[in-house]
Amino acid sequence: MQPNSAAIVVLVGLPFLAAAVAPIVYRYLGDRTAYFAAAIAFISLGLVSSQHGVHGEVVLPWIPSMGVTLRFYVDGLALLVGYLASGIGVLVFTYSASYMHGEPGKAKYYATMLAFMGSMLGVAFAADLLAIFVFWELTSISSFVLIGHYTDERDSRYAARKSMLITVGGGLFMLVGFLILASHAGTYDLVYMLEHADEVRSGLASAGLLWPVVGLLGIGAAAKSAQVPLHIWLPNAMEAPTTVSTFLHSATMVKAGVYLVGRFRPLLLSDEWMALFAALGLITMTVTAILAVSATDIKELLAYSTASHLGLIIAGFGFQNAYGAETGAFHILNHALFKAALFLVAGIVAHEAGTRAIDELGGMWRDLPITAGITVVAALGMAGVPPFNGFYSKELLFEAAYETAVHLGGLAWLYPAVAVFGSIFTFLYSIRFLQLFFGDRPDALGEVHSPPVTMIAPPLLLAVLAAIVGAMPQLAVDTLIQSVVGSATSGHAHAFHVGLPTSLTPPFVMSLIVMGTGVITYPFYGRIHAALNRLFEVVPPITANWWYDSIVYGVNRRSVQVAERVHNGLLRTYATWTFFGVAALTISGFVATTATLPAELPITLAPALILVLLVAVVAAVAITIAPSHVAGVLTLSILGFMVAIFYILASAPDLALTQLTIETLTLVIFLLVLDRLPAFYGEIDRMRAIRDGVLSIAVGMTVTVTVLLSTAATPTMKIAEYFVEEAIPQGGGGNIVNVILVDFRAFDTLGEISVIAMAALSVLTLVALRNGGETA
Amino acid sequence: MTTVIFRTATKFVVPIIMLVSIALFLQGHNAPGGGFIGGVLTASAFALIYIAYGLDFLEDGVLGRDAQTMIEHISHGVVSDYRHLFAIGLGIAAGSGLLAILLGVPFLTQGYVILEHVPIYGEVELASAVVFDLGVYAVVIGALLTILSVVGAE
Repeated sequence: MQPNSAAIVVLVGLPFLAAAVAPIVYRYLGDRTAYFAAAIAFISLGLVSSQHGVHGEVVLPWIPSMGVTLRFYVDGLALLVGYLASGIGVLVFTYSASYMHGEPGKAKYYATMLAFMGSMLGVAFAADLLAIFVFWELTSISSFVLIGHYTDERDSRYAARKSMLITVGGGLFMLVGFLILASHAGTYDLVYMLEHADEVRSGLASAGLLWPVVGLLGIGAAAKSAQVPLHIWLPNAMEAPTTVSTFLHSATMVKAGVYLVGRFRPLLLSDEWMALFAALGLITMTVTAILAVSATDIKELLAYSTASHLGLIIAGFGFQNAYGAETGAFHILNHALFKAALFLVAGIVAHEAGTRAIDELGGMWRDLPITAGITVVAALGMAGVPPFNGFYSKELLFEAAYETAVHLGGLAWLYPAVAVFGSIFTFLYSIRFLQLFFGDRPDALGEVHSPPVTMIAPPLLLAVLAAIVGAMPQLAVDTLIQSVVGSATSGHAHAFHVGLPTSLTPPFVMSLIVMGTGVITYPFYGRIHAALNRLFEVVPPITANWWYDSIVYGVNRRSVQVAERVHNGLLRTYATWTFFGVAALTISGFVATTATLPAELPITLAPALILVLLVAVVAAVAITIAPSHVAGVLTLSILGFMVAIFYILASAPDLALTQLTIETLTLVIFLLVLDRLPAFYGEIDRMRAIRDGVLSIAVGMTVTVTVLLSTAATPTMKIAEYFVEEAIPQGGGGNIVNVILVDFRAFDTLGEISVIAMAALSVLTLVALRNGGETA
Repeated sequence: MTTVIFRTATKFVVPIIMLVSIALFLQGHNAPGGGFIGGVLTASAFALIYIAYGLDFLEDGVLGRDAQTMIEHISHGVVSDYRHLFAIGLGIAAGSGLLAILLGVPFLTQGYVILEHVPIYGEVELASAVVFDLGVYAVVIGALLTILSVVGAE
């Protein structure tokens, strides 16, 4: 069945439209804007589900002259991400009504959240590489705004900048990967590439471009999905309100990287692909699970855990066998269900208990019974305990790793070993989170209120869904996951079955090892936690944050130093650096292209011309030894008039006229400002004189070489002839220069006169209004 | 530079410069000239007046307005006229291009008609490019005079 193009366009466009009107809606509805946003998300959810089971492409022309088309592609993977973005959107917006009560900047908050939802839906459904990139960066930008929600707080600003730098920077790597891919495939159309996957892949491989493309897309995905060592922005992103963490930084935006990996899996699946993504995913899964154990704040714990589970999904998509795709596809859903629920629980805890420190919380099940129930389902799912939802996808990962190890042997046994090792830590921190509600209640913990219905209903719904998936995993597979696996697999995907294991299969044994070791080591959780934190304190370079801070602050310091030297407020310094830069760039450009100077000069000079030029040279020399400013300016104008005469002799009357009038006017302006300048500057420093002399010789040589090189080329004169021939029939004018200016190239002229107007405005503001901006 | 000779010369020369500049502007399409050169020439005529009679002459002597300070010049004096002039010029230039879009051809497309048997002139060419050039002319005069008077007042 073909997708309904109107539904898809409305789906992607509506959230942006709603974002635009959100500030106005907020003025009238106040806190109830949350329900407006939830309604928009609900409409989106309805539109996504109207396309359920659909597979196909929608094509709309966007920039036809550049061959850019807005293409949307609907398939299982796109629908899954669409369901998450819109469905969790409904819940998060409903939750916001109570949670954001009394917070600052709510109009901005709702507008950005809606814009984010639109961008995420755009990422999911776009089928043109450029469109994917645009939506991708839009999600990064809205994430930046939302993380920096508390604009007055230093930590928020640090976190927002960090996430911006990493995710947008990663996006640029992805763009380069896209450009290589597109230039190789000859189109930006993703659907075409997926249909000709084998062709494109073997073409890339034979051109030696498979590694670069896989690597560049990998950097983009790793930055977005917080893979080691780019995971460091995610824990800081928890500075945002909890709703934002739930929506962007657990359920949807961080899934964009995972989505990218799943989307390009059928196109690029190869040994290189597996080497990169299986290793990256498993390392991330393990490292960030260990970091989660070292966390002291519940949102920090969940953030590291998110990175860890994203690593699991990436690793799943990395494995070449069918279980790999099944792991990735199934875990996207499972993770979104339990992690979004847990984030909302964290929001309830922070809101009602007034603290997020793990040490200060415990035994809250009497205060928050429903929340405790939700946490049991979600945390056990996260730990991978049967019969909760996370168990099934983790089994699939173990199976994928085990099969790969059996198939390849040797070092490949590291895959299942690392997977088991990392999962032990996952088990540990999941149980630790659960312990917030059980065990001893710290005495310092004050009264804990019960949350309002709008805050309890969304996580409850998510937990119920997670429990249903846990109880009837095959149902989820049949309705949704099977088609997602189809999108992530080249060729035909076999129907797959999940369920509780009935015999001691290798993956089940691995799960048993994880749970057994977890239960045994859990009593030592406090000691592991303390030891890890001590390790990070003693050896800071093993943390990625240390590297980030050192680099960023180091670069900051350097740029301040450079700035002091390059633009220190003195005009002559600016001029020196600008001229030096231009000359150096031009010359190095010529050197790089190995341009050679023509052997003989292409022009012959008439005696009259030589005379005029000689006068000009004499004037130029005279300027440097002129005793006063007036004398200098007048001598300079001699040079200008000589150039004008040169133009007349070279039969360019228009240029000569312009040169003459401009020369006169410049002279007048110079004379106007002259008496503002000091008459005597003092003795000139010898070193500076030498430096300036060298610089002016270098600039002069650069210009000379440029003129020689650019006039040495002998074009076929087509352009000039065209203008000569067409000036009268097309432009109706005999003055070619003027016809070019106002007719053939009028758009250029429009730009030039805009520049003149801007210059006048700048003079006006800089000179006349510098003391009082209120007037005029 | 405010000698009697200079002032008298200015009185005679300025009208001639203005006439030449308008002629240059009008003949620009077929002979040397055009909006840019014409504009610069007009600006130099004004520069001459400024030098000979001082900056306030235009305001007080010619327009009969009473402007005291520089800020007043800018907000509602002659400088604001110059500012309006280059804004209008930009509007004319861009608007002439938009007119082309209304007629269904690409932005800034120009055309012309040749009128025959016009009394005295015989054959007259009407080019739409002149409208665009008028915009250029106005922007150049407005911008240059703005710069000139602001810098001059300093």
